[in-house]
Amino acid sequence: MTAPNANTDNKRNKEANIWLDAHHDPVSSLHTFTSCLSLADLHADGDHKLLVADLGNKTHEMKLKVFKGTNLMVESSIIDLPTGLVTFYMDTNEPRTPAVAVASGPFIYVYKNLRPYFKFTLPPLEVNSVEQDLWSQVRDDKIDVKILREMLESLQNEGSEGLLTVRSLRFLQLEEDELEAFAKLHKSAPLKRQTVITCMSTMKKTMPDDDAISCLVVGTESQDIYILDPEAFTVLAKMSLPSVPVFVSVSGLYDVEFRIAIACRDGNIYTVKKGGKAIRTCVEVGSQIVGLERIGKTLVVGCMNNSLVCYSSKGRKLWSVYLPDSITTMTNLNHKAKGFKAVLVALKNGEVRLYKEKFLLSTMQVDGPVTAMQFGRFGREESSLILVTRAGGMYVKILKRTASFEEKDTVSGPPPAQSVKLNIPKKTKLFVDQSLRERENSTSMHRTFQRDLCLLRLTAARSYVSALEKSLNPVSTSGEPIKVSAHIQGFGPAFKLTIKLQNTSSNTPSTDLLIAFQFLESLYNLSRPCIPVPLLIPGIEYVFETLVECISDKGIADAIKVFVVHKGKSVPIITAVINMPVSEAVVAV
Amino acid sequence: MQEPSSQPSGLETPNIESDRADYPVNASSSDDSISTHVGSSAGPSDEISSKTDLTSDVTGPPKPKRRPGKAPDLPIYERRNWLIHLHYVRKDIENCKSLIDEQLNESQGMCEYALYIQALLLREEGKIQESLELFQRTVQINPNNVDNLKQVARSLFLLARHKAALEVYLEATKLNPQNWEIFHNQGICYMYLKDYENAAVSLKSAIQLNRHDTSFVQLAKVHLLQNDVASAIEVYKHAVEYSPENPDLMTTLGLLFLQVGQTQKAFEHLGNALTYDPTFAKAILAAGSIIQLHGDYDVALTKYRVAAAATPESAQLWNNIGMCFFGKKKHIAAISCLKRAAYLAPFEWKVFYNLGLIHLSIQQYASAFHFISGAISLKPKNGELFMLLAVALANLDDKDNAKKAYNRAAMLDQNDPVICLNYSVLLYKMNERRNAAKQFAAYEKRLDGMKRDGKAGEIDSQVYETAAKLSPLLQVGEKFVYKESSSNTSLPESEGYAMSDSSSKSSFV
Repeated sequence: MTAPNANTDNKRNKEANIWLDAHHDPVSSLHTFTSCLSLADLHADGDHKLLVADLGNKTHEMKLKVFKGTNLMVESSIIDLPTGLVTFYMDTNEPRTPAVAVASGPFIYVYKNLRPYFKFTLPPLEVNSVEQDLWSQVRDDKIDVKILREMLESLQNEGSEGLLTVRSLRFLQLEEDELEAFAKLHKSAPLKRQTVITCMSTMKKTMPDDDAISCLVVGTESQDIYILDPEAFTVLAKMSLPSVPVFVSVSGLYDVEFRIAIACRDGNIYTVKKGGKAIRTCVEVGSQIVGLERIGKTLVVGCMNNSLVCYSSKGRKLWSVYLPDSITTMTNLNHKAKGFKAVLVALKNGEVRLYKEKFLLSTMQVDGPVTAMQFGRFGREESSLILVTRAGGMYVKILKRTASFEEKDTVSGPPPAQSVKLNIPKKTKLFVDQSLRERENSTSMHRTFQRDLCLLRLTAARSYVSALEKSLNPVSTSGEPIKVSAHIQGFGPAFKLTIKLQNTSSNTPSTDLLIAFQFLESLYNLSRPCIPVPLLIPGIEYVFETLVECISDKGIADAIKVFVVHKGKSVPIITAVINMPVSEAVVAV
Repeated sequence: MQEPSSQPSGLETPNIESDRADYPVNASSSDDSISTHVGSSAGPSDEISSKTDLTSDVTGPPKPKRRPGKAPDLPIYERRNWLIHLHYVRKDIENCKSLIDEQLNESQGMCEYALYIQALLLREEGKIQESLELFQRTVQINPNNVDNLKQVARSLFLLARHKAALEVYLEATKLNPQNWEIFHNQGICYMYLKDYENAAVSLKSAIQLNRHDTSFVQLAKVHLLQNDVASAIEVYKHAVEYSPENPDLMTTLGLLFLQVGQTQKAFEHLGNALTYDPTFAKAILAAGSIIQLHGDYDVALTKYRVAAAATPESAQLWNNIGMCFFGKKKHIAAISCLKRAAYLAPFEWKVFYNLGLIHLSIQQYASAFHFISGAISLKPKNGELFMLLAVALANLDDKDNAKKAYNRAAMLDQNDPVICLNYSVLLYKMNERRNAAKQFAAYEKRLDGMKRDGKAGEIDSQVYETAAKLSPLLQVGEKFVYKESSSNTSLPESEGYAMSDSSSKSSFV
């Protein structure tokens, strides 16, 4: 068990521990999201169970798990990746046991009494009539596969009639020789275009009671929202959106008045009302949405740009808070007994923050980013919080009964920084003395400086001239335009000297060059004291190497001069001076 | 098919086969059998689901023997888009990438959304060219999706190929003429192409569609690039109306008012900005400089304390703090602060100017000379700097160079009367009466010019005093020695102002 880390902020220390640790399993190996967690009174015995749709390792071992207390009670395989899990009452039978719906691919699997009960398939999308026609002609062997392929390609490029079915897309990707077999295999099956569920939620049908019958609200990849009747599993309403829904937030009753806020992949939030077929853009958030929660009449939106923004139901921005790290998931905390509603925000650094409006009430630290989070009644405890981390750890926390949620009033008065003294660097007495001295002797100081400056310039000019005369500079100024650079490698006594030569002229190659060295013969020994240079083509860097051995053990070093000379001339074209490092002593073995 | 109730063992020990077989047939499904996906990591072929026959091995790859005429179900390409999206928005980049790879493998590179997210991730990593290529692929797959076009244009824009980006945006408007983002970005492209007229038109239509703060900011920027400060102010006024709690917008509006000389209005807006965010450093700096201008150094310093906590590395801030101390005659503290400012912004000539000024006033002429010549090498075309250099040189007993500096100053700055006055004083001290009188006449001419422009209020009273003392001397010819150079003290205040100006310039970036 890890105690929640004390917040660094001293002020919040006392509120930091509003949670009690009930259970911590660091290796529960759950892999799930907030949308796949639910707490429900599955057996109508007042003992609320935790339901988890586990994504396993993404390709298999997807499971529906039910926890009674902290023990795994039931485990049941799911066939494809679960998108969402909700519990809802689908009939009025006694005892009041809720059904479990798991959305996965285009299907919703409904469980009653934890037994598979019903599988709902989303109505298939309309298939392009031309495409349908083509495939039926293939089935009747009226056209052959090559014509089919050509026709489908042109249909795809037209692109006006919506996307093709997967079968056609697959078909277009096949190699020439596979076409026939593929068409033969598939042609007799009816052509259909499926979509998948992207999000799911529930909406009470006629009564607002806790155990009233609920409809399912389902968002699909085909940019639609379906409202499903819980008893007959028929589509009660279908609404089309401009983008793919990601999160839905529902309020109201289906038969009376409802409002669905839908966060979409284009970063907008749309709202749908009862009866109104028109979809209204509520908010352009301007960033991708990570979480959407309804608190009272406001929508709290977690954005990818590390901000938590609140909008009114009309779409007006009410406030925004910046967070220290990116959001991983959000859920709402509805404490019915205290009538307290707030938002829990999990961050990537493992923090879980509780926000009441824009005020941070508490922070808790867990050992990894939280991917799934649910607050509600668990077992017999009214206010529990379930956390599942990315690494697969599961936490159960209980809200302390003594926890108080005082709203902080807005910061008034001057910010605390105003009373902090400015950090001004102090000056020493020496500084003051020197300035006094300058005040008295400024003229002479100035003159001395000016004279010395002149002398310095003179010296610099002189050495420059002498360097030019003796060709001691690494870039030649006259004659051959050549650049040289030399490096020394090694610790000694053996060094490697690397010389790089480059002809910097635009089109005249250099010929008849030699590299020669000047060094103390008592100190160093060169393997190649003279290196003949081949023709230098302009622009290409040539590399020459020689080994240098330090033959003195006195621990002294000297400079080695590298000359590039023309054959038969004594004045070098350019010179590089290498200051040798002190050689390490030879270790006697 | 079994009825759910006839499966007694389903609760405790569910097994895969019975689980699947238990699902009754859904009426809305056109297929009369249950077909499911058997997920496995082995590759695309395994994604093909098999008929859930109780006898068939469902966990293995699909068996070749299946009921004749029964085609395998093809998994749709978009089936994991939601998961990719969820990983993407949670910034779980690693898992997101592996998912995308899997999905692209399965769909042989035809999954539009996976490509789209992959391109976005690449762009975030700075691989803009690669992202552009992927976005172009998504456009190939689905040329009717505006988002794809928008992203292609965005990548082109980031590659500084504004013209190409603009063309793509224009194409995108054909698909969706009501998109705020397209118009906004179009406007920015026009701005970079220096077509300000069109930029303003595009940005205005963006604002009409949706009033985003950033469109206002960009529109104002376009107006400023056209040197139309009045229009920029109008734009910001609208922006502040629509998002009344944005301290950034208010501060910028305040700075614009400051630029056109409406100090009162500027102060109002800066004050408003500070009520919403009392720690907003930009507003504090601007408001502080106005307070400083009015000589209220202590108030300005308390304001700066807040800013110093928020932005301790702002050279402008430390410059202004330094000038506050200078105004309070705390020279050592002033020098400390200014030196810090110079350390933080070594190429900011105003800091060196101020340092030179302080050293002049505490008679450290040699140091002053160095700071001023440093400032001159950064800003070689400023008359005031040469005047200060001349004052320093005159005090260092280098009269010839001082005269040269004055000449240069008078040449570079044709309006400032103080230069001529100081020059006149120097010449008078060197006993060059005639030249001194000439410079004095130039001073009076410039002074008249200033008065005509209505800027007489900017001249310090000490200038008049010096002139009043000098004029009888030149005309009467009496020998009279007095201290010159007092006119310089009028400069520190103007400096605080100038500095805030520079901070406002940086805020428009």
